[in-house]
Amino acid sequence: MHAEEGPLDDATRVEIFRRCLLARRLEERIIQLAMAGELAATLHPGQGQEIAQVAALAALRPDDPMLYGHRGLAYWIARGLPPERILCELAFKEGSTNRGKGGVMHVVDPALGILGESGTLGGNFVIGAGVALAEKLQRTGRVAVIFFGDGTSNRGQFHEAANFCAVRKLPALFFCENNGWAVSVSARVSTAVADIADRAAAYAMPGVVVDGNDPEAVFEATAAAARRARAGDGPSLVEAKVERLLGHFLGDPQPYRSAAERTALRERDPMGRFERDLRARGLLDDSALAALEGEIAARITAAEAAERRASLVAPATALERVYAS
Amino acid sequence: MSTREISYGQAIREALAQEMRRDPRVILFGEDVALYGGIFGQLAGLRDEFGDERVFDTPISENLIVGAAVGAASRGLRPVAELQFADFVFCAADEVFFKAGMWRYVHDGAFELPLVIRAPSGGYGFGPEHSQCPEAFLMHQPGIRIALPSTPADAKGLLAAAIRSNDPVVVLEHKLLYARKGPVPEGEHVEPLGRAVVRRQGDALTIVAWQDMLWRTLEAAARLAGEGIEVEVVDPRCLNPFDAETLLASVRKTGACLVVEEAYRTLGVGAEIGALLMERAFGDLDRPLRRLAIPDVPVPTAPHLVDALVPNVDAIVRAARELAG
Repeated sequence: MHAEEGPLDDATRVEIFRRCLLARRLEERIIQLAMAGELAATLHPGQGQEIAQVAALAALRPDDPMLYGHRGLAYWIARGLPPERILCELAFKEGSTNRGKGGVMHVVDPALGILGESGTLGGNFVIGAGVALAEKLQRTGRVAVIFFGDGTSNRGQFHEAANFCAVRKLPALFFCENNGWAVSVSARVSTAVADIADRAAAYAMPGVVVDGNDPEAVFEATAAAARRARAGDGPSLVEAKVERLLGHFLGDPQPYRSAAERTALRERDPMGRFERDLRARGLLDDSALAALEGEIAARITAAEAAERRASLVAPATALERVYAS
Repeated sequence: MSTREISYGQAIREALAQEMRRDPRVILFGEDVALYGGIFGQLAGLRDEFGDERVFDTPISENLIVGAAVGAASRGLRPVAELQFADFVFCAADEVFFKAGMWRYVHDGAFELPLVIRAPSGGYGFGPEHSQCPEAFLMHQPGIRIALPSTPADAKGLLAAAIRSNDPVVVLEHKLLYARKGPVPEGEHVEPLGRAVVRRQGDALTIVAWQDMLWRTLEAAARLAGEGIEVEVVDPRCLNPFDAETLLASVRKTGACLVVEEAYRTLGVGAEIGALLMERAFGDLDRPLRRLAIPDVPVPTAPHLVDALVPNVDAIVRAARELAG
C-alpha cells in the first residue's frame, strides 16, 4: 500500500480505511482478551490515532525503515504484519517477532521496514538518525521515519537527532502524533509550545501541522516530506493533531479526564468521520462496510486460532541471542 | 610480519586506516575527530584519506553519537563512534547500556550491531568528570564487549578485532598510554577478543592489572624480583568476554591474587574477580584476595590529589610483598 507520487487516490483511501478498521477491531479484541485475563495487558491503546499512523505510512515506500511510536498497533497493520504475529507477541508465543524478549514495545520485522521502538522514550530519535545516516551513505533512496508523541518531543534526544539530521541533510522524517497527553500530564502544563512543529524552525527544517484525522492531509504532508528527504534536502517534521480516545494503558482509570470529557471524545471518534467521508465519495456503502467488517472479523478469528495453536516460548529462549558471536 | 616501534596513539590510527581501507562500511564519527584528528591527535589524517562521508565531526550530542551508531549498525554499516572521554558513557547511558547492550536481544537477534565505541579513560588533571575508568559499569551490562588495550600492539590488534566483531565493543583507550611506544606489526594485525596474556611469569603470586596499572605493576614486579619475589602478571585485555582460564591457571600455580585497578573499589572489576576465584579457585588459593583500587571517592582534579588515590608502584610493591610473605 503506497502511492507516494500522490495525490491520494481512491483505492489507497479505501485501503487506509480498511487497515485502520482492522487495527481498531484487533485492538478492541485484544482489550477484551486482556480484560478477561487471556492476554498480557501491556498494550498502550492507539484508538483515535490509527488514521494518522496508517495514512503516513501509506505515503511512504513499503521498505522505508520505521521506528514506530508508543500508541497502538496500526503501524504494524499498515506495514502488513499478520495479526496472528501481534497476538503471539502479546501472548509470548512462538510466531511472535521477538519471542518474549521485548514484547509489544519491540515488535520487529526488518523485511517490512519495522525496526522496533525504544522502550525508553526518545531513543527512537537517535537510532532513527543513525538509520537515516546508513540509508544516505548506502544510497538506498529510503527515508527513515521516526514516530513520536508530543510528550516524547520533550526528551533531549529529540534535539540532538533533529539537529544532527538537519546539519547532515539526512533522509529522516520526524512524524509527531500530538494527542496532548503524556500519560496523565497535559501538554498545557508540560510543553511550552502549542505546536510541536514550531520546534522544527530551531533546526532549519520545515515543520507542518495537519489534522491527523484527515487521511488526505496526513498523506500529502508526509509524501511532501519524503520527497524532500529523497531529494537530499534533509529532514522534515510533520505534526498530526490527534486524540487519544483511551487511557495510557489498559485499565487506566484516567482520573485526569472527566467522564464527560471521555464521553465527548468517543463521540468525536475520527473513524466515524472517515467512514462518512468515504460514503460521501461513493467509495463505501452499507453492504461494502458489512463485507469489510465480516472479512476483518474472520481475519481476527483466524489469528486468534493461530495464536492458540502456537506454543509458549520455551524458557531457555531467555538465554539466547544476547551476542552475535 | 615485520614490526616497528610506534606509539599507542599511532597504532589506533593505523588500525582504523587499515580497517577503513579494507571495508567501505566502516565509518568514524564523534566530537573533534575529523578536522582536529581527535583531541589526543590519534586520528590525524583520517578525514583527508577517507573524506567527509566516512569521517566526520558531530555536534556535542553524546546520545546521538552512540544512538546513531546503533541505528547505522542495524542497517549494515560498521560505525566506529568516539566518546571524547570515557566518562561520557553516562551522558549516553540509555544508548550505551540499553541500546548497544540490549537492542539485539530485545529484538531476538533481528539485528547484528557491529559497532565500536572508542573512549579515552583514566589520566590526570582532567577533573572528576573526565578521568574515570568506567569498565566495571560496562562489565555489569550484558551485551557489550569490552577491550582494554595496554600496549601499542594490542591497541592496534584489539581495535581491529572490535571493528570486525558483529557485536558492540567498547574500546577503552587509556589517556596516559597514547604516547607510549612499542613494537607493532605493520600489516593486518587482529588480536582475538577475550584472550588474556601473561605479561611476566612468576610463582609468588598473581597480579591482575591493565592499562596504566599494568605498567606500574610491571615496574613493581621488576623491583620485587630484586628482592627475590617473582610475581606473575596477567593482563586480561578484555573484560567481556573475560578469559577466566588464563587467570585460573595462574592462580593454580601461585595460590594468591592481587588485583590493581584505576577505578572505585566497591563492586569494581577486582570484586568480580574475587567472586570468580571464590567460586572456581577456592581450593587453589592459600591466601586471601587483595585489591588495590581508588578508595570510594571521586577522582579529583589536582594531580597530586590523584596520586594520593590511585595505586602507585610503591603501594603495589608493598601489597605484593605482604601477600608473598
